[in-house]
Amino acid sequence: MPNKRPEPPRKRQGGVVKATKKTSSSTRAFYIVAGAIVVLGIAALSWASTRPKGTDVASRIDTTLPPVQSSGYVIGSPSARLEVTEFGDFECPQCGRFATLTEPDVRTRLVNTGVIRYRFIDYPLPMHANTWNASRAAACADLQGKFWEMHDAIFANQDRWNGEATSSPDKVLKSVGAQIPGINKDQLDQCIDTKQTQAKIQAHYQLAMARKVEATPTFVFGDKQVEGFLSYDDFKAMTDSMLAKAPAAPADTSAKIDAKPGVTLPVKKGE
Amino acid sequence: MTKRMWMALISLLGLFLGAYLTLYHYGFIGTLVCNVSSCEKVQSSRWSMFLGVPVAAWGASFYALMLVLTVAGMQERFAESLTLSLVLVLLTAWGVLFTAWLNSLEAFVIHAWCEWCLGSATMVFLLFLLALFDWRERREQIESSYDDDSPLTPA
Repeated sequence: MPNKRPEPPRKRQGGVVKATKKTSSSTRAFYIVAGAIVVLGIAALSWASTRPKGTDVASRIDTTLPPVQSSGYVIGSPSARLEVTEFGDFECPQCGRFATLTEPDVRTRLVNTGVIRYRFIDYPLPMHANTWNASRAAACADLQGKFWEMHDAIFANQDRWNGEATSSPDKVLKSVGAQIPGINKDQLDQCIDTKQTQAKIQAHYQLAMARKVEATPTFVFGDKQVEGFLSYDDFKAMTDSMLAKAPAAPADTSAKIDAKPGVTLPVKKGE
Repeated sequence: MTKRMWMALISLLGLFLGAYLTLYHYGFIGTLVCNVSSCEKVQSSRWSMFLGVPVAAWGASFYALMLVLTVAGMQERFAESLTLSLVLVLLTAWGVLFTAWLNSLEAFVIHAWCEWCLGSATMVFLLFLLALFDWRERREQIESSYDDDSPLTPA
């Protein structure tokens, strides 16, 4: 007959009670520290979730910095009351999130209705291996009037050509560009191969540096700028707060542009 | 403080860290506080999702479960439970393996580090060590209770 170990004797419970008494001060210490963590944690989360949003926390722009009126790629009505500028990096994941999740709504509801004019300026960050290739390719598409189509295609395929995915980004970018309706593929390929648009991207980069842009995406709404991903609601809130301060513009029926998200019409080009 | 109390406190900290990164993932936080590394690149990479759920949310759930178990383990009813100690060891061991996989992705695939992820990795490792010590303590306690009271009794 095999021997079996019995359950620990019940009298051991007395030991537990004794230990509990002995550790009552440490239990108190535990609850005090736990309470402090909860209070600080909730305060930190509240601070973090409200920090980058709204006009109260957007930083005011130094008015002595160079203007952005002569650079980048623009869509929207020239008579829109507000211009919003994005300093973006094609390989930056948050820029990709903004371009694919928020920007379609921004174009449909704010750009195409003439509320704002939207400008994109490249800010290829050094940490991203293939971002210069993407900026050059987008600028090449711009030579054929296809910047925004290329912009959308590049962001939509970010995981195919970025530094994690390939060491030959130009090949992927060419195939991405080739899918754009009406684009001259040979012309695009040649432009990408010869780095024809390098100087333009360099100028955009210098502009972003001169304006002390520190992160991508950075959005400039009038005299305020906000860093990081914005949901449509955040973007709209910033737009509304700036429009409330801006002088009223005359009615402009030509501001209604028939463009769909992802297929937008360049109204005015910089440079 | 007992080991389970320390584990509960670490789990509580981890829960807030996981919540912070989850809120960032869903766009409720504009930019991460990240001074010395590339948190944004890591948190927005395709590896930031696991089985369709953000890794940060998995982390928050893990810490929440650890918090519940360790607080339960502080109660008199489970204070001497060897089973609970074993569950804690197994859970934290799984946490260490999962974290090691995530850190290896940061090192060899994403080529970027996230200081919050490294902080979480440290906490998971500490939890594992504490769980091991707690398990050993419970075993020794039970062994000594047999030694004190009676030899093996026939069934």
